[in-house]
Amino acid sequence: MARKISYQQAINEALAQEMRRDSSVFIMGEDNAGGAGAPGEQDAWGGVLGVTKGLYHQFPGRVLDTPLSEVGYVGAAVGAATQGMRPVCELMFVDFAGCCLDQILNQAAKFRYMFGGKAVTPLVLRTMVGAGLRAAAQHSQMLTALWTHIPGLKVVCPSSPYDAKGLLIQAIRDNDPVIFCEHKLLYGMQGEVPEELYTVPFGEANFLREGDDMTLVTYGRMVHVAMEAAGRLAREGIDCEVLDLRTTSPLDEDSILESVEKTGHLVVIDEANPRCSMATDIAALVARNAFGALRAPIGLVTAPHTPVPFSDALEDLYIPDAAKIEAEVRRVIEGRKVA
Amino acid sequence: MSTHLSADQLLHAYRVMRTIRAFEERLHVEFATGEIPGFVHLYAGEEASAAGVMAHLTDEDCIASTHRGHGHCIAKGVDVHGMMAEIYGKKTGVCQGKGGSMHIADLEKGMLGANGIVGAGAPLAAGAALAAKLKGSRGVAVAFFGDGGSNEGAVFEAMNLASVWNLPCIFVAENNGYAEATASNWSVACDHIADRAAGFGMPGVTVDGFDFFAVHEAAGAAIERARAGEGPSLIEVKLTRYYGHFEGDAQTYRDPDEVKHYREQRDCLMQFRERTTRAGLLDAAQLDRIDNEVEAQIDDAVRRAKTDPKPQPADLLTDVYVAYP
Amino acid sequence: MAERSPAMSRIPLTVGIIANPASGRDLRRLTAKAGLFSSTDKAAVVQRLLGAFGATGIERVLMPPDMTGIAAAVLKARDSRQARGHWPEVEFLDIPLRQSVEDTRLAARRMAERGVALIAVLGGDGTHKAVAAEVGDIPLLTLSTGTNNAFPELREATSAGLAGGLCASGRIPPEIGLRRNKRLLVREPQRGLCEWALVDVAVSPLPFIGARAISRAEDLAEVFVTFAEPWAIGLSALCGLWFPVSRQAPGGAWMRLHPEASEALLAPLAPGLLEGCGVVAAGPLEPGVPRSLALGCGTLALDGEREIEFGPADRPTVTLDAYGPLSIDVEAALAYAARHRLLRVGRDHPQHPVNRFPEDNPGEKQDVHSPVR
Repeated sequence: MARKISYQQAINEALAQEMRRDSSVFIMGEDNAGGAGAPGEQDAWGGVLGVTKGLYHQFPGRVLDTPLSEVGYVGAAVGAATQGMRPVCELMFVDFAGCCLDQILNQAAKFRYMFGGKAVTPLVLRTMVGAGLRAAAQHSQMLTALWTHIPGLKVVCPSSPYDAKGLLIQAIRDNDPVIFCEHKLLYGMQGEVPEELYTVPFGEANFLREGDDMTLVTYGRMVHVAMEAAGRLAREGIDCEVLDLRTTSPLDEDSILESVEKTGHLVVIDEANPRCSMATDIAALVARNAFGALRAPIGLVTAPHTPVPFSDALEDLYIPDAAKIEAEVRRVIEGRKVA
Repeated sequence: MSTHLSADQLLHAYRVMRTIRAFEERLHVEFATGEIPGFVHLYAGEEASAAGVMAHLTDEDCIASTHRGHGHCIAKGVDVHGMMAEIYGKKTGVCQGKGGSMHIADLEKGMLGANGIVGAGAPLAAGAALAAKLKGSRGVAVAFFGDGGSNEGAVFEAMNLASVWNLPCIFVAENNGYAEATASNWSVACDHIADRAAGFGMPGVTVDGFDFFAVHEAAGAAIERARAGEGPSLIEVKLTRYYGHFEGDAQTYRDPDEVKHYREQRDCLMQFRERTTRAGLLDAAQLDRIDNEVEAQIDDAVRRAKTDPKPQPADLLTDVYVAYP
Repeated sequence: MAERSPAMSRIPLTVGIIANPASGRDLRRLTAKAGLFSSTDKAAVVQRLLGAFGATGIERVLMPPDMTGIAAAVLKARDSRQARGHWPEVEFLDIPLRQSVEDTRLAARRMAERGVALIAVLGGDGTHKAVAAEVGDIPLLTLSTGTNNAFPELREATSAGLAGGLCASGRIPPEIGLRRNKRLLVREPQRGLCEWALVDVAVSPLPFIGARAISRAEDLAEVFVTFAEPWAIGLSALCGLWFPVSRQAPGGAWMRLHPEASEALLAPLAPGLLEGCGVVAAGPLEPGVPRSLALGCGTLALDGEREIEFGPADRPTVTLDAYGPLSIDVEAALAYAARHRLLRVGRDHPQHPVNRFPEDNPGEKQDVHSPVR
């Protein structure tokens, strides 16, 4: 294994390979091809950042551009999923969920339970998450906790090209509706990705670094920030174990608890806003189930409770960085109170 | 357009309408006893719409329904006892007691569910139509919504999408004059819901929803059109509901004589009986027999639903996911 | 323009406007290529009529209320700058609404009781027929807002309104401005049935009224028409392309059809719908002679809409006569208006060009009456 491709190429490859394997898979979304009805090039964009570029010509009739009409086309994807299709529907930015939440929250997520176990809704909703592109408050959110809160949905947030491909293939084959969160700052990230089809199972966290002093739990782009902090903390003699959750629903509770039992310290890092977030949820999980193992109060590193600001001066402050993680780790280990 | 109906088809249509009426009138009585939990929205008075549209559909075709969905379910072939048991919250219900009146669904019958969210069924129907188109089947999908739903953005977006993608999707606006307690002539700015079709590049027609034959003919034309790949259309069915928005609604917003007028002058079952017998296509004895059979069927459904078992505590946690580690 | 009498006791010169809110929405949008006449469009036509009526001396207009926003739009516009001082007084009839043809009939009767000088009708053949049957010799100003219209003309309401207003105010002699129309009467004595048609009666093998419109040649067994114009649309055109009969001729025409007839004719049965129709026979329809039907059971479509289901026990007949409604001959009326300069305005008229922008030229206002400036 030596081939390196980007996170974005890994997603594209997963889509192409699954479409080739299964004729019920199709993709749809705003400008997923781009250029529909326009005089110029078809497949002009291949998604607003080019993630689905090239699929339009490879799979005629199975890459559907939609009008800017989130409730209409997300709902249509949900409807098609109940009828034996496996739509991979793109919600360009997760922030646009405000337009179509009903079709996800009240329809897709609830069919199986509400219809007495008779419905299957194998929908993948691919959506861009996260801050850092100076895209401001309506194009930068990290709404993982919102989705994770809703029973019936599975929530995936890959941190590497390898995981992006394997988790997406798993998501497409999964029979439940999956919210597949792609961090926009990771699209360019290069990594080793096998050419063949493979899956990464849901609900299995990835131990990226072993350590005895501190457990760092996170997901998505924060995995890399946590790894950077862990590297520096190691030089100070603090050995961190870094857990990449990969999926927030299902949540790999066992791995989190197992690590905390070993290290006795926990800092949870979440790019999302803090109230009712993955960070607080995991803190509660550990407080409830591994309180005896904790040698210090749990630390949290999250975005502040504000919308995402536009100016780089503010957005860089908003997004958790390695320095903040290091400071929180030191604070927890030294047993200091939150300032 | 299939305007010709055999005696068997006519009898079936009558049975469907009679079953809906008997089901709803019985629920009206039973709800008053306090034994039925939750919200119940009755379809009585609107039977010709469900029967007229569904006469053209098979199990391959899908419908998405509304909170007032019992009639659509019955006309689409959902089991009547299973529906009654569902409404009573019993394990034997079509959704095992987990859905209730507003969520009765039977995907095997192409019934994508009654829906507690007004207008939400329209995008789902568009999706079912998309699936049929992608699979290359002859299937169509029908989105039912009301005059209230006709004001929802979800319906507008679904209509636009269906037109843009040329989907075999039929939008049926059952305009019963009221969205909850608000009159449609106040809330629908263009007044005729059918007029909205023009804005989405599809034909729109208005039909008399008290007349099974009018609905049947219009739906036949629209569905035939959709099956032929000619795209979506909108049918506004003008009708009335005999009961309130939900059971327990005192309907003080209505003229007390309004329902009486429709029941006495326009009732779809009365018209159907009168016209098919006058034309010599059916005789009264055949229709009376159906009335009796339906009455017995509903009696049986209610009796069983009342004594059927409730879901078990363990059922609380099942069927959230197909598979969850 | 028309002189307004200072006497307060005089009954204001009153006309009626009936706009059928339901017209222009039937099945033929699906089965043919018929267009839509929205309530917004109808309300605009009514407002154009009101402007023309105001300009020709009509003092009061009666209208029925409706549930589709036509009356509401007129009410809203009544206080606009365009309307104030230019429109007649608009009065809405206090009638119950059943949202059926009964509303049209009741409104027409009330207007007749109030002695209106004219009723402007917006609708198709069916709407005109419903009004005509209720109002005796009150002239109709006919405007097409339906699907398949042969009786009312497609004409701009502003010009038609001028013709109607001038006729109603007596400034155009009836023998010039009015035209008598033929009618068809469908009778079934046992059922006490006597219904009018202004253009056509079709006998169809379809057993039920259903969605009312007839869109297929095989659904026609026999057709009777008051006039057969090749340039019309629908059944009048069908007969007209085989056996033309003018509106002015005393008789009408009939045609018997069957899909397997030896001769066939391509005819525009509805907008966008050209159908090959098998013609068994056709001929003239004598006035005053009742005709029995070729079918023993089926439906009768009057002016394009199936309205009557009949069975073996029924014996319906169709009779043509010359006692249909009076209608405004817009072309003749306006030609007379031109010859007599009826629309000439004096300098004291608010719409004389010199009075167009009085607020811009306050000084000129005093000069309005001076012969030379």
